Amino acid sequence: MELKVYADRMSQPSRAILIFCKANGLEFEEVPIQLAKKQHHSPEFAEINPMKQVPAIVHGDFKLFESHAILIYLASAFPGVADHWYPADARKRAKIHSVLDWHHSNLRRGSVGYIFNNTIALAFGLPLNPKAEAEGEKLLLASLSTIESLWLEDGPFLLGNSKPSIADLSLVCEITQLEFADEKDRERILSPHKKVLKWMEDTKKASAPYFEEIHSSMPPGIAQLKALKAQVISQLSASKH
Amino acid sequence: MTLKLYADRMSQPSRAIIIFCKLNGIDFEEVKIDLSRRQHLTPEFREINPMKKVPAMVDGRFKLSESHAILMYLACVFPGVADHWYPADVFTRAKIHSVLDWHHSNLRRGAASYVLNSTLAPALGLPLNPEAAAEGEKLLSASLMKIETVWLKGKGRFLLGSFQPSIADLSLVCEIMQLELVDEKDRERIMGPHPKVLKWIDDTKKATRPHFDEVHSILFKVKEKMKKLQSDGSVGESTRKTSPRSKM
Repeated sequence: MELKVYADRMSQPSRAILIFCKANGLEFEEVPIQLAKKQHHSPEFAEINPMKQVPAIVHGDFKLFESHAILIYLASAFPGVADHWYPADARKRAKIHSVLDWHHSNLRRGSVGYIFNNTIALAFGLPLNPKAEAEGEKLLLASLSTIESLWLEDGPFLLGNSKPSIADLSLVCEITQLEFADEKDRERILSPHKKVLKWMEDTKKASAPYFEEIHSSMPPGIAQLKALKAQVISQLSASKH
Repeated sequence: MTLKLYADRMSQPSRAIIIFCKLNGIDFEEVKIDLSRRQHLTPEFREINPMKKVPAMVDGRFKLSESHAILMYLACVFPGVADHWYPADVFTRAKIHSVLDWHHSNLRRGAASYVLNSTLAPALGLPLNPEAAAEGEKLLSASLMKIETVWLKGKGRFLLGSFQPSIADLSLVCEIMQLELVDEKDRERIMGPHPKVLKWIDDTKKATRPHFDEVHSILFKVKEKMKKLQSDGSVGESTRKTSPRSKM
């Protein structure tokens, strides 16, 4: 059965799935859907995912969207995926579900709220929103503290696991979206969280070389967006004088 | 009893789990954590769930938070839970995961924000926020539209075109029930355009009776109390300064 992964490498959950597939040697075709070019709004893509979001997969004639559902499906449907990614043990698995659920309304919501309103909105022709950015940052910081003190309490991976699970991939790929922010902001936000920083490195190593490979697609897009942001900001301050 | 459920029946996800357990004959002790009295902030509850939220579960010494994780765990470890709640089939299960995931940032986010900011806030010692309520309503309406046109597509009466309810139906319907707290005309305005959704709510209630109605009775009691307080004039600007304990 053929596996197609519809993804934009600029999308955090897309990256998590691409890295997972490569790290587990799954055969698949990556179908790029470029959000900045509004390709997710095409009628063809609506057939794949009526919610018009990436990532989405088609496996044979089975369609699926929502990255956590996809990661769980791939871990379950493909033989040869090592147990630590999505353990068969009911209790270990339940804990992974609970951090994946927590993620939606905490790390993801905070991180997206911050980064979107700080920079990424411009890629969609939308204005930056300092108020929403500040709210996002507050939730992002609280979420990083929770990861530092609770989810990574028994380290090195989430939930005291000695090897990474799909939860580690999902959450770390969310945090790497901070590459879109200014370096000094990124430092300010991440540097107080030593365990988080180590965990990100450990997750990168555990899925090497694919983690680096997938993330290497980001810099050109980031540079373009940062240049656009600089332009917008200088236009705004010019219009004030 | 080894299974303990820490819940507040005013909390949508708490209700989903209580109904699920009762329906499936799962023995459990319900430990009430009253959110309006800030019992979720006590050091004792922090030991149970450091996220300080309900619902939370303890099975023996195994602690778990997040309602979807709890529903999935209970469906897996308790014998006698019928397959349709959380089918073993990998494809159907994946689809259930996808609607449960979608729920967090869509129906739940919209509905919870709308109800809190338009109506429930004073009961929790918070001010109403019409701007946030309007934003919440927008997302809520968009989500209901998605349920109407995407999630309820198919031959069956339940989500994903299923012929029998799953944990996803329970979770999402319990969320929508929170709208019982808002003004009837607002509720009609929001729900009216979605006939499939209304039928699905009814079908889910029928499939889970009598527990669904019993567990939801608290909403109607609270609504009466809130109406009384409003007509007495003691809910509104003045309540911002009073302590939460004195309100309910």
